[in-house]
Amino acid sequence: MPHWATSRWVIAPLAIAGLVLAWNGYVALNDGGLVEGQVVDASGRPVPNANVILLERHFVMHNERQRTRTDRAGRFRFAGNDNHSLQLEAEAAGLGRTERRVVRLWFRAQNVRLAEPLQLAGKLP
Amino acid sequence: MRQRGTFLRHATLVGVSAIMLLPFYWVLKTAVTNENIYAYPPRLLPESPHLFNFVDVWYFIPFPRYLLNSLIVSALVVASNIVFNAMAGYALTKSFAGKRAILLLFLSCMLIPFQATIIPAYLITSKLGLLNSYLGLAFPLLSTIVCIFVFKAAFEAVPQSLVDAARIDGLSEWRVILRVLMPLSKAAIATNVVLAFIWSWNAFLWPLIITREPTMQTLPLGLARFLSYMEDTTGALYAFAVMVLAPSIFVFLMAQKEFIRGLTSGATKG
Repeated sequence: MPHWATSRWVIAPLAIAGLVLAWNGYVALNDGGLVEGQVVDASGRPVPNANVILLERHFVMHNERQRTRTDRAGRFRFAGNDNHSLQLEAEAAGLGRTERRVVRLWFRAQNVRLAEPLQLAGKLP
Repeated sequence: MRQRGTFLRHATLVGVSAIMLLPFYWVLKTAVTNENIYAYPPRLLPESPHLFNFVDVWYFIPFPRYLLNSLIVSALVVASNIVFNAMAGYALTKSFAGKRAILLLFLSCMLIPFQATIIPAYLITSKLGLLNSYLGLAFPLLSTIVCIFVFKAAFEAVPQSLVDAARIDGLSEWRVILRVLMPLSKAAIATNVVLAFIWSWNAFLWPLIITREPTMQTLPLGLARFLSYMEDTTGALYAFAVMVLAPSIFVFLMAQKEFIRGLTSGATKG
């Protein structure tokens, strides 16, 4: 191996370039802009037809970007998100409204599935 | 007894280093939390650390653009400093009429602060049509007097017999610099790289004056802009400061051995 190839001036920038490339590859594979999750009631049962609001951050404000409704299994899905800092809120008639859930992403439009469902205060009959 | 003395010396050095590094630690700690820096009592360890402030910085302002601008300007400054300062340093190792006057002129110029010469510098840059350009951003730092003296000291440390031997072998003055003096002056080159990079990277006033478009701004200007947008988010602001500082620290750590050697090579004889 040539002497220059073992120089820290070569190895360190190459290592950084490699990390940047790897990160960009990961981003390219995971930037579909999908935000998925579930809405449940106070007892943990899925809430169908709940209204879910997606808000995105602009500097110090959060503005509403999209709305959708949950399916029979209480699941919801937003497509086309292009922000990195979100809030999610759900509401259903007679069950109240959830607190806003802050969702921080590592890059814009990162695909994300909520680990914990949005929980409404009321119980389904 | 000697071991105890060494231990005490090292303990003192560790203590002093910790005190000097504390502000850096505090910046880093604030960058990975959203803590208020004026909170009392202050916490030494970060609570719920995260890296999302860095993500905010990346996306809320055109950080990649500022980074690219800073990198281009710094690369221009570093390259030109090595070329011009080496040429000037080599010339100053020679004997010629008026050398003493030139040295005095250089030394006296070092006493004048940049703020005092900024208007003529602006007018010259404007006449050259370099306002709002990368070359214009790099212009005042293309050659720096301190770094010329670093090269001068390094070239003077090379034995004259080596230069004479190169000339006998038929090398021109340019090739003497390139093939003989520069390879023997790695410490001076590293010092030039570090100083030129840090000065251009941290420059604020000059880029503020000569840039007209946000797309030509560099990172320190971006930091000021970010501060005006996000004054209530201390964590993100400190994250920005860390991201601006990181390349300078990286370059310094890469070249620190040669940098220290370069700064001290002219300090002693023999």
